[in-house]
Order: sequence, then C-alpha cells, then structure tokens
Amino acid sequence: MNPFAYTSPKNISEASALTTPKGEFALPVLKGGGMDLLDRMKEGLESPDLVIDLTRIDDPALDAIETNRVGGRVTLAMLAESDELHQSVPILGAAAGSAATPQVRNVATVAGNLLQETRCWYWRMSQFDCLRKTGDECPAREGDHRFHVIFQDGPCLMVHPSNLAPAMYVLDGEVEVAGGDRDRIAIRDLYPAPDADWRSTSVLSPAEIITGLRFKSAPNSAFIALKQKQSFDWPMVSGYAVLKLDGDVITSARTCAGAVAPRPHPLPQVDEALVGVSIDDDARLRAACERSIEGADPLPGSAYKTALLPVAIRRAVAAAANPTGTDRGGDA
Amino acid sequence: MSQEPRDLRAINAGQSVADDATRLEGLEKATGAARYGRDQIKKDMLWVRLIRCPWGRASLDSLDRDAALATPGVVEVVVSGDAGEYHGDSIGYVVARSRRSLERGLQALNATWTRLDCKTGILDDESARGPMEEPSDQTASAIDDAAFTFEATYSTPVQTHSSLETHGLMIEPDGENSIVHASTQGTFVVADQIGRFLGKRRSRITVDCEHVGGGFGSKFQIGKEGAAGGLAAKSSGEAVYSFCDREEEHLDTGNRPGLLCKVRLGHDADGTIRGARFETFGGTGVSSRGGGARVPSGRFEFGTLDARNHRDVQFNAGGPRAMRAPGCPQGAFVEELLIDEIAHRCGQDPLDLRRRLDDSDRRQEMYDVAADLIGWKNRLKTGSQSGTMRTGYGIGTCDWGKGRAPAKIEVVVHPDGHLEVRTGTQDIGTGQRTAMGALVADRIGVPLANVSVAIGNSKLPPGPASGGSVCTPSTAPAAMAAGDLARERILAGVAEREKLDATTLTIDDGVIMDGGRKVVRWEDACRRLSEPVSVTGEFDGRASAYWGEGSSEGVQAARVEVDCETGQVFVRDVIAIQSCGLPLVRKTAESQIMGGVIQGTSYALFEEQVLDPNTGAVLNANLESYKILGSEDCPRIIPVLWRDDQTGVRALGEPPVIPTAAAIANAVFNAIGRPVRDLPLRPDRVLAALAEPMAEQVVAVAPRTTDRETRA
Repeated sequence: MNPFAYTSPKNISEASALTTPKGEFALPVLKGGGMDLLDRMKEGLESPDLVIDLTRIDDPALDAIETNRVGGRVTLAMLAESDELHQSVPILGAAAGSAATPQVRNVATVAGNLLQETRCWYWRMSQFDCLRKTGDECPAREGDHRFHVIFQDGPCLMVHPSNLAPAMYVLDGEVEVAGGDRDRIAIRDLYPAPDADWRSTSVLSPAEIITGLRFKSAPNSAFIALKQKQSFDWPMVSGYAVLKLDGDVITSARTCAGAVAPRPHPLPQVDEALVGVSIDDDARLRAACERSIEGADPLPGSAYKTALLPVAIRRAVAAAANPTGTDRGGDA
Repeated sequence: MSQEPRDLRAINAGQSVADDATRLEGLEKATGAARYGRDQIKKDMLWVRLIRCPWGRASLDSLDRDAALATPGVVEVVVSGDAGEYHGDSIGYVVARSRRSLERGLQALNATWTRLDCKTGILDDESARGPMEEPSDQTASAIDDAAFTFEATYSTPVQTHSSLETHGLMIEPDGENSIVHASTQGTFVVADQIGRFLGKRRSRITVDCEHVGGGFGSKFQIGKEGAAGGLAAKSSGEAVYSFCDREEEHLDTGNRPGLLCKVRLGHDADGTIRGARFETFGGTGVSSRGGGARVPSGRFEFGTLDARNHRDVQFNAGGPRAMRAPGCPQGAFVEELLIDEIAHRCGQDPLDLRRRLDDSDRRQEMYDVAADLIGWKNRLKTGSQSGTMRTGYGIGTCDWGKGRAPAKIEVVVHPDGHLEVRTGTQDIGTGQRTAMGALVADRIGVPLANVSVAIGNSKLPPGPASGGSVCTPSTAPAAMAAGDLARERILAGVAEREKLDATTLTIDDGVIMDGGRKVVRWEDACRRLSEPVSVTGEFDGRASAYWGEGSSEGVQAARVEVDCETGQVFVRDVIAIQSCGLPLVRKTAESQIMGGVIQGTSYALFEEQVLDPNTGAVLNANLESYKILGSEDCPRIIPVLWRDDQTGVRALGEPPVIPTAAAIANAVFNAIGRPVRDLPLRPDRVLAALAEPMAEQVVAVAPRTTDRETRA
C-alpha cells in the first residue's frame, strides 16, 4: 500500500468537491466503510493519494432507517438488525445479514455494498491485466471460472458482488445521489449496460455520492444465498423474490438472481410464469422457476450454477410467501 | 446422535492427570499480552521482503536495482536469480528501514517478467492420466480368484498450513550474540540453522519462541524468509525483521500435497478383499519428494497387496512440507471410502465390514462406542433416501506410531515453594507448556498454582521439535523424572530434620504426610532451603521406567446432512474417540482432538489451493478464496479420551486429523448413494455425483458370515 493523505470533510458537498483532482492530489477516492477500498489498496489495484472519508460527515439522514428509505451510511449490521424493516421489507435485512462477517457488517455501508468491486480472482490479482483493466483477453474464460457467470452478458465474465443490489432490483429501488446534476437514479440504471462503459463500477461520476436508498415496502419478500461455506463466503448463486398474494395465489412477482451475471440478473420470464400460481402448487412453482435459466450460457466450470439457480429462486419465492418463517440473517 | 447433549466432563472425567487445569498462558493469549515472534516489532530495525515470481514459471526481463537502492530507507538489494519456477519463488530480497520504504523499494525495483509455459497439477503427468499398470502376478491372481473386481480413482487437493502467525523471524543483536525471535516448531533447529546465515557460532545464538501461532509441520526449517533475515542481520549488524505476509504464507511455506490414487481390487460376496493394487501420485510442486501418502494404512486386511507404487509428480508450484499427519488424511480418505464402497457392493453395514477387516482390539471397542454416540442405529441403508435433505453416517479410523526423541526437563524448587519447570522445547499452541507444568505438579503432589513454566528458548534444557507427535511423549518421561527427583530431594530434607523414613513420606495437595499424619506444608518445607534446588530429568529416547504402555488409535463417526438440490454438505456431529496413552491435561487434550476434527472437516469440505491452469498463478493465496471452515460450518464435536490400562504418554497432535475427512466422505456416500471420490466435497461435485446412477451392488443381501460370531 502506498502512503496517502486523509481528509474527513464535514458535509457532502465538500466531500464531493474534493473528488476533483487538483494540486498534489491526482487520485482522490471516496471512502465509506472502506472495507473494499482497503482490500483494493492492499492488492495494489488502486493507489489513491487522497482518501476522502465520509464517516465524519454530520448528517443524520445518512444514518437514518425509515420505512421506505435508509441512509447511504447505514451499516449492513444496522440494516440486518432493524425490526421495522424486518416487518415491512424482510429481504433487505436478510441480504445484508448474509454478507461477509459480523466484523465487516459492523463497518460496511449499504452504499458501499452497492458500489463494491467484483471478487473475480483474476481482476483482484494485479499481475493479471484482464479485459476489465486494460488487457485484451479475459483470463477467466480459459481459466478457473467456477465463481463466474452463467449469463454471458457482455465481454466480462465477472459476477456482480453485491448482496443488496438484486434486492433493490426486486424492490424497484432508487438511490439518492448528491454531488451531480441529478438527485435519484433507479437501481436498474445504476450499473453500466454491457454495450456501454461496462468497465465502470457504476454510472456515477467520480463526484457523485450515494446518500440514501429508497425502496417500496414488500412484506412478502425474501433472499436466499446458496453458499459453499456458511461463515464468510460469497454466494455461489442467490435468489431474490418479492410477491403479491391473493390468499395462496401469486398475483404478481418480481424475481432476480445474484452471482450469475456481471449485473443483478432480473428474471421477467419467471415473474410472468409465477402469476396465478398457488404457493402450494409445487409442480407449477418448479416449472416457473426452471425458467430462470433460460438464456443461460454457462462456462464449463460454472455450469453447476444452472442447477442451483432454479432452486435459489424457488426457495426465495417460498420464503417470500411465508416471510415470518425465514431467517433474520446474521451469519457468522 | 441421541438428542441430549452429552457432558464432555462426564465422558472424559478422571482420565487425565489434570482434569480441571486451564491453559497456563490462556489469559495472556486472550488479552493479547502474549508476545509472538511476529509481534517483535522494534522502532529501529530493518525490514526484509523477498522478490517473488508472480507466475507459475517466468524469466526475469528487467529490474532496476539502482532505482530501488536510491529509494529513501532502502539499505540493500540482493538479486541472486533471474527465473522463477513457481508463483512465489524468490530471486532475492530487499532490506529497508521501514515497511513503507520496503514497499517503495520493491515498487522502484519494478521487476518485469516473461511468463513461460508451465505445469499446474498431477494430471499434467502422463502416467497419472493413463490407465493403471498391471498388478504383479501374485496380486493379479488373487484379484482374479475373487468373485468381483472393483476399480476406482480418488483424489485430494493441496491444503496449505495457513498458520495464523506467518512464518518468519526477528533477529536482535546483543553484543556479540544474537537473539532470534522465531515462529518455529523447532527451537533448537532454528539455533542450528540460523548460524550459517548470521555467520555466528551456535553458542552466540539464543532462539526465543515463547509463543508460536501454529505450525502444523511447516515450521521446522527457517525457510527462505529466515535465511534472508539472517543474511541481512549479518551484513547490517542491526535488528532485522523478516516475516511472510498472508499471501506469501499461502505461496511459499509448504503444503499438504495433493494425491491421485488408483485402486484395483478383488473381493468376495461377503466383502473379504482377496487382493489389491494401489498406485499413488503425489504432487510435489517443484520439490523432488514429499508427495507420499499412507495408503493402505495397514489397519485393514487387503489380502495380497501391490502397494508402494508411488510416484512424485513435479509441476510449477511451491513444494510440500510435513503437514499434521503427513500423507495420512489423504490416504485414509481413499481407504475408508473404498471400504464403504465395498460394503455397499456387498449389501453390508460398513461398520460390520470394518470389524472384520480391522484386527485392533482397541478399535473394535471404539467402534461400539462411536456407533452408540453418533446414533448409528438411525443410519439408513446407503442410497435408500429420496428427499431433498438426506442424512448420512460415516466412520473413519486412525493409528499412530510411538516415535520418541531425547529430552531434558529441569525443575527448580525455590525456597518459597514455587516450582519452575524449564524446557527449551516449544509450545506451538498444543498445550505443551500446561502439560509439562501439570505433570510436574502431579508428580510432586502440589497444586498447579505453585508451578510456572519457562519454555521455548534455546538456553533452556533441550527437547525435540514439535513433529511426529513425539514432543509430549518424549518430554513427559523427563518431566516425570524431574518431578520425582525434586520431590525426593525435599522429602529427604524433611525426613532428616523430622527423623522420619523418607520412603514413607508422601505429598498430597501441597502437604507432606507420613501415613495419615500431616508433617509439614510444602511451602514450609521449602523455606528451609538455603538456595533454589535444581534437578534435571532426562529421557534418553530409548528406555525409561516412565515410558510406559500406550498407543494412539482412534475412531471417528460423522453425521452429515446433504442438500440434494444444491449439493451442499453440512456436517452436524463428529464423535472423535482417541487413545493417547495417559492424557495429561483434559482440556488441552480435548482441544487437540477438536482441532483435528475442525481441520479435517475443513479439508473435507472446503480447502484447496487453486492454480490458474494457464499461468500457474495461485488464484486463492488469501483467507477469502482459500476457504477455511468458519463457526457456522463447524460440527458439534464430542472428543472422547480413550483410556484403558495405559500409563505411558503417547501421540495426540496428529492422529485426530486423520479420520475426519474419511468419515465425512463416507457419510455423504451413505446419504446420497454415490461416492464422491474427490476432495473437497464441493457442491458441484456432489451434484455431479447425484447425476450419476446409484452405486452398484453386486450382492443384494449380505451373506451370513461367521466372523463376527467368532469374534464375539
């Protein structure tokens, strides 16, 4: 890690202004919890000369938890432990509580979770100049890609690392943004499209800061992570579901898959197939959720994920129908 | 497993020398007060870092030595090679005044490499990929004579030691002498090895390793990082700190080598094995040896055997080092799963087949206890379940030799009654310190509170390195002898003063007794000493009245649940029965067993070094992608200290890690009806196994055998 200057501005606009390179600081970077930033600095992937720490900004809205909004600086632990959100939108706390470790969740922020970098082990190693850096080939394609995509959505085979982003997709969420000329961005527009600047982490400009997450209530919502290890592991595949029910019958569904594509992977064909299905109708539920792998184009080493995805989605749908029976999250 | 939690104390009470003793340094470790070698960071010292190859095989194109030397704080740049044969291979080192200047110096050095073609695993070897060789005539005819033949291939991954305290040392000048704070399992090995690099005689070197954060067999040598530290200390005359970082720890400090094992055997309808051929291939990276596996182990009857057909396969990766029971967990995985496969083919309960193939009387008894504690009666027939979550039960076994080495232990009795136990041998976290203290206290008859232990310093009396599980067995006879000598010295003084017969005096909980009569308190007796009394107990490694009877054998039973939609394996319970002769301290002995089970479970389910197949770079040289079991993955473990009439102290460090992965693999086979023959038992592999047909049965119903009746 290289030496860097550190500053802790007192308000968002000051923080945003500091992101413009000037004087001796050519590479300023914003830091929330700093969990992923510290990793990237230690791995030699980034060498900022100025770290702008957002944790000292005096703005209670950044830490607030409300029915349909959480501040960008709310930690994953706070989100996982919120009783109010557990009632109104259980999917968020479950997704937050399943990430990383208790120690990380106590520090990592929701905004940082949305903007963290991929865990692709080729991208993470500085000696590999992969496609997403400046290279002209993807070492994962002919390499070991067991943790990579099954939907080849663009040239990069990374999977999106965020647990919260797919949850925000099924909640039709938006992020609040400061520091630019817009206030809100729909979550589905936050990540670059495969035919656009897909190397970028998000569409945000360097000066833009996520100050909050907005989402609708969804008491019938659930998250399922299929992990190899139950302590401190990224999911092999994760499933997200928000349902509306009339009795036992699904009247509308929003589902999404995590860890299978470079972005959260919404499943409209599953949503459509689930409408009118009774949650007790196992055969029809299975048939609907099997459709989650339509269009999948797995790599030899990631093909096992195509068996996992329909299971994750089906279990998420079942859990969403019966949210009181689901875990609060909070893996060790 | 029965539903009520079993009280460990009830199972293991009264089996050990010290039932309730807690780790003497526990508080220091829990509060962070314990100083490890890696903690020896001084303000004015030099930092050393090796220059390492970033690819499986590469040649050095360029580096800018002048720029590195011009970096403020950099004092030395040593480049001794221009090619790397594996990721992490070193071609020299940089020495600097601070960690920051060291990193800047390495950046300024700007080494550039040309990547070369490389080999990345055992399967790069043609004979490993190819078919088995024909068995010898004798074995071939035994296999042919059997009713059925069976052939299978098994594999295990590379497991890295992942010591919490990384490898390295800190060297401090002390006048003409040097103090070496080492993270090592061999105090005296470091003292012998470092002198060559320091340019100093052995008598001028003191090795200190009061606390060591793990070793598992990888810390017997000073390693490249230690050698570079020694050279830097010699050339500078200053204090030098040379420890691996986490990535280097994964790349270049040894590993448990991967194994490929091909088996062909002939068996009869009752499971009797008439003949077998085992071929093993061990992956040794760039090393030329060290890939061996103990399979078959000799615990089971295989008839006419073609064994020791071993080949070490080289490729572009760091070489192996001894790792906790070298060659054994991988061998046990193959052998025990093989036996369960044969049992299934013959429609037999695998526990019954083991009882017939295993001639250890002690393990025969252990099988019964393990079956009872795990709830073997609830085990369903292999392959008979159909739900999403399926439960399986499996058994694994182990044994261990009776290695021993010379050792000396000094006991100093101070006039205030305090006892100082002095032993140069190290405590790598096993509880060696507490075991020695408790043993001496027990021999004398005073509470452990009277005892302190000085340990892990080459100026203290010599003892063995912590390897082969010989450390406690070898130091215990010396400690017993020292304790007895100290007791006799004090009692002789009391007898003389009180005009009593020393041979009738005893010491009970710190009180010297003559028959039923209290004579004097231990402290009061010691107060008569004009100066501390020192005695030394010695074990010559050959014969001793204190060696006693004992052996290390074990049986483990696992209960798992397998999610057959996702391939996830959850290990719920492990019963770990282990004999080790006379256990010294109950809690640390249980802890050794539990640690073995945890490491074995992690090996069964998660751990594997992943090399990029194209570049040979290690893709998971960190504790995130190199997956190690965490708290939520840990089974409930019941360690059972097996004690019959054994009086000698025997091996406990290594044997408990041997059976775990085997027992878990067998439990998974029982649950899903197909063997998973490759470790780790990853979800993708379990799903692939589930897509295969159910394992074949050649005999639907077990034929009656008379063997068990005979045994009973």
